[in-house]
Amino acid sequence: MSTVAWAAWVALVTATALTTTNPYVLAILLAAIALVAVAAPRTERAGLGLRVMLLLGLGLFVFSIGAAMINTGFGERTLFTLPRASAPDWLGGLLLGGDVTAETLAAGAVRGAVVLAVLLGFAVFSGAVSAHAILRLAPAALFHAGLVVTIGLALLPATVADIRRIRELRALRGRPTGVRGLPALVAPAVMGGLDRAMRFAEAMEARGYAAPPAVPARTRLAGVAAAPLLVAAAWVWFYQPEVRWIGAAAALTGAGALLFWGWDCARRQRVTRLTVEHEPFILRIVARVSLASAVALVAADLGGWLPGGYNPFAGFPAPPFSALAIAPAVAALWPLPFLAAWPRPRARGGPAVAPPSPS
Amino acid sequence: MNAIASVERVSYAYPSGDGPALRDVDLEVGEGRFAVVAGPSAGGKSTFLRLFNGLVPQFTGGRIAGRVTVAGFDAARTPARTLALTAGMVFQDPEAQAIADRVEDEAAFALEQRATPRAEMRARVDGALRALAIDHLRERRLSTLSGGERQRVAIAAALALGPRLLLLDEPASQLDAEGAAIVLDAVARLHRERGLTTLLVEHRLDRLLPLADDVVRVEGGAVACLDPRRFVAEYEGAPAVARLARRLALDPLPLTIEEARAWHGPALARAVARPAPPPPSPGDELLRVEGLALAYGEYEALRDVDLTLREGETLALLGPNGSGKSSLLRAVVGLAKPRAGAIRFRARPAPAAVAERSAFAGFVPQDPALALCQPTVAAEIGDSLRGRAGATERQAALDRWGFAAIAARDPRELSAGQRQRVAIAAMLAHEPPVWLLDEPTRGADAPARAWLAARLRDHAARGGAAVVATHDAEFAARVATRALRLEAGRAAFDLPAHEAFGRNGPMPSPVARLVDGAILPGDVVA
Repeated sequence: MSTVAWAAWVALVTATALTTTNPYVLAILLAAIALVAVAAPRTERAGLGLRVMLLLGLGLFVFSIGAAMINTGFGERTLFTLPRASAPDWLGGLLLGGDVTAETLAAGAVRGAVVLAVLLGFAVFSGAVSAHAILRLAPAALFHAGLVVTIGLALLPATVADIRRIRELRALRGRPTGVRGLPALVAPAVMGGLDRAMRFAEAMEARGYAAPPAVPARTRLAGVAAAPLLVAAAWVWFYQPEVRWIGAAAALTGAGALLFWGWDCARRQRVTRLTVEHEPFILRIVARVSLASAVALVAADLGGWLPGGYNPFAGFPAPPFSALAIAPAVAALWPLPFLAAWPRPRARGGPAVAPPSPS
Repeated sequence: MNAIASVERVSYAYPSGDGPALRDVDLEVGEGRFAVVAGPSAGGKSTFLRLFNGLVPQFTGGRIAGRVTVAGFDAARTPARTLALTAGMVFQDPEAQAIADRVEDEAAFALEQRATPRAEMRARVDGALRALAIDHLRERRLSTLSGGERQRVAIAAALALGPRLLLLDEPASQLDAEGAAIVLDAVARLHRERGLTTLLVEHRLDRLLPLADDVVRVEGGAVACLDPRRFVAEYEGAPAVARLARRLALDPLPLTIEEARAWHGPALARAVARPAPPPPSPGDELLRVEGLALAYGEYEALRDVDLTLREGETLALLGPNGSGKSSLLRAVVGLAKPRAGAIRFRARPAPAAVAERSAFAGFVPQDPALALCQPTVAAEIGDSLRGRAGATERQAALDRWGFAAIAARDPRELSAGQRQRVAIAAMLAHEPPVWLLDEPTRGADAPARAWLAARLRDHAARGGAAVVATHDAEFAARVATRALRLEAGRAAFDLPAHEAFGRNGPMPSPVARLVDGAILPGDVVA
């Protein structure tokens, strides 16, 4: 699958996760991500990244439930009671503990599942496409930021290897390598990482990969103004419904500024490509539909037109189940037939990751 | 001579430097010349090289006086991004200069950012890959390439931009001997076939000097351009053949064995080797390895390796990349788990824990400076001694390793060579009876090698023993009493050093090939 197609898929996954509170939809979405993850190509390094993201996501899932448990006071179906405590006034006098209800646990689980789905979606995406491919896909306006991220990603494995080696060196010097030895482990790893980043940046500069040409002040101004305009638009739209037309105007102006900034940067930073990723026609169509669906989901959510939302505090009902609600989650399975039909060929000359060559 | 680059009265100081890194440099680089930049570590070689593509001072900051001109550009003021089209540069570490996944993409990346038309880009990339003889690797992922192949990809990426001047900063220093030979041969071929002006910083001079038009000697910030033969007449780190000729007062000085034989055959035939000192009588057994086998997944790194080490012995562990040298040392110290075999310390089974094993067999892996984290050299040595039973007092360790004068300095502020020495000392400060050193001379200059050789001799004289895994045959010949060569995880030979490196041995040294009975220049009667 092409980088564009993977980007379209992760956009659909993210939009679906962020626009639903329905446990059925989230469960189906997580299952879809898991199935795609199994079928997706990935290097050994990406496999490690997927495991890390899975652990992080599960950790946040548990944290979300834990946070719901200590921040109680809502719902009617008490499961058990925790000791009560209140935060000081200067912290808002927040009440902690008390009755833990089924409703709060359900709401915490839903929030955790959303985070888990987004993290796993991006883990599959980053495992399936290289940092370099993502950089090539980035718009010209974001090229420099993308380059910094790419360099960071390129250096990550070396930093992980450094940490392993420093642990070995510490052990060989008879020094602790566990929690007590953490400061001695982290400081050289950070220093080494910074040093390597500087050397990388120097090499990039020497090879002509440096910053794109400067853009005029009006373009920079448009780029800078876009973000506050869009934030202001959202605030007015949601919190000042009587003057929504101002919000709409601010949104249009912000979007216009953003488009102008992107267009002018792209105009000045022309690039060419030696090779273009092959993308079969059917895949191109499906990817575009996926991307359009993601945009439509977000728009429908903003407009309040999405069905099947779930509020456990409204009497702890069973989650609503409708074909329309689960459709985006089921649609997230769309890469499977393509992965089965066109498995990514392994790069010639051996495995994706070199075998150890210790000498 | 048409000069492509000139340096006029240039002095330069780093922002944090104590003094100038370069002093009053005047130099011209002729178009089509091949110049080797040589000199001791921290002498200013890399700084000098970075003048030509503007990284000094544009990237490094600092104060510069004078003028550097490259193909008509003022290098200090022309953006490095622009100058990259004229002066291409390749760095030491192949890992820290690639951005793409595939070879072809890496070679094309800079051209893509410059909106080079696709047809022209294709021609340039193909030409660069062909010139470096890596055309067959174009579809390969960089992560599957060897270090030598990756460096050639880096050179191809620089070459694709069409530079008139190629700058190489120790491109082979991170590579084993085989990888280094491949890279340096590729650079030499580029110069020969394309007439590309080349400035190359390198410590391994024996292969390069015969190819060089000039040697730029950089030492203490001073720069001088010399004829290669004039350079070897006075340089401590000159190739062994030149040092032998110097010792015998031969003129002209040869740079290769072939030149030595052709020009000074009769004189060399008359040369007499000093009588070899009686072989040291080894003491008690310190380390024994029996039938060691080790595998990484399906890859068999060691097969049925035996080894015995006695007091007073220094064993050179030789062999090509992947032959199992590092694996053997890691298995001895407990960092790798053998599949079969036994390891004994003083005839007893080695303890299980790495910390306990390293108390007896101190291991210095490659790049030990990575773990330095203390604020002073004294604290760094003290950190290693803490908790070690029987360890000597900190001051005594500092004196023994010769660090009394720098005890209060921050290791991070020392030169790379000094930092490496401190790191080696930190790993061995507790005075283990057995030292295990993995490629300790990689990237080291002549004084650093001499320092390490002296430390190894002291250790052996005190009844210790050492195993030195190295690709540096001359260093091995200098320090070793025995030589063990591994090939594909098996021991190919285990011989006394004078037999292994002697004229009839399996790895004759350059001097042994010229003077019967000698191994090093110092073995020959002047």
